[in-house]
Amino acid sequence: MPALPLDEAGKYVAAAYLVFLALILTYVAIMAAKLARIDRDLAELADAAERTRPEPDPPDAGADRDARGGAEGNLFERVPEDERARNRPERPSGTGAAGFERERRSREELV
Amino acid sequence: MRVPSLRANAISAALILSAGFALVFFYAPLDADQGFIQKVFYLHVPLAICSLIGFIVGGILAIAHLRTGDPRWDARSYVAIHLSVVFGVGVLITGSIWARASWGKWWVWDEPTLVSFLIVFLLYATYYPLRYAIEDRDRQARYASVFAITAGAFVPLNFVAVRMASSLVHPRVFATANGGLPGSMLLTFLVCLAGMALLWIALVRFELAAKAASASLSRLRRALDTDAHVAAPASRIAPGAPSGATTSAR
Repeated sequence: MPALPLDEAGKYVAAAYLVFLALILTYVAIMAAKLARIDRDLAELADAAERTRPEPDPPDAGADRDARGGAEGNLFERVPEDERARNRPERPSGTGAAGFERERRSREELV
Repeated sequence: MRVPSLRANAISAALILSAGFALVFFYAPLDADQGFIQKVFYLHVPLAICSLIGFIVGGILAIAHLRTGDPRWDARSYVAIHLSVVFGVGVLITGSIWARASWGKWWVWDEPTLVSFLIVFLLYATYYPLRYAIEDRDRQARYASVFAITAGAFVPLNFVAVRMASSLVHPRVFATANGGLPGSMLLTFLVCLAGMALLWIALVRFELAAKAASASLSRLRRALDTDAHVAAPASRIAPGAPSGATTSAR
């Protein structure tokens, strides 16, 4: 069979190379869409993880409460510190900074 | 041996393939018999070679999966076959375009090279329904590996059988009886083949990276779900509650 003239053969050659380009671009586009979905899902998971994390108290909140005599601070405002210490009922083990720390540790163990 | 990064792999594939295509149109001489349409050959044949070798590689990776039981080999085998099927689509389309220009027909059924490639392609097209018809992941991977090995062994047998058959019209470009390829054409062809092989490897690695990211995401989601279930009883005690409330029960 005689060779096709250039103007005739050129269309077929261009079509073949364009098909190849389109094939590769389609594949890469599909993979890019998949990666974009993974990226979106990852961002959603990161948000969910942030939301479920318990909000910690400020680190000195317990110490501050201790200084004021805990939740009962207002009741002992006019009582001198040593007397307040003597009259202070025995504090339950979970209050104040130490209690906060213990509670945090037990929560971490659970998780 | 240090494996180059995916980025370096992709860039080198793009550069070498671009150089190969530049050689096709600005360096390689026109074929005396076929003229300009022969330029399709530099695209069609490397695609076919990469596709067929990719099927064999998929079978070899499947052997590694059956030997080790490591699901990563199964993923590699799957991706190699997947990319080879994609390249196979390119082979069939570019081959049909060349056939239309050269023979005046889109497809010739009595040509062993064409029909044998179509058989191999259709064989691998059944890989997906076979694989995804099985729900159990272990069984799915095992059956897919057995299929990949069997079909991978069929590819070279098929190739040899076709070469032994007396082809009437499909050109034999590496035949030395009629002189084979001249040096400039051979160089152009080899550059295109190297570029196509690098592209195949880069795309395989790209898809494997995407699959690994997807698997990590699933693991992370499962871990967070487990955390949420475990943390739920704790959250009844802990978050926001005054610290005395937890101890009052003690």
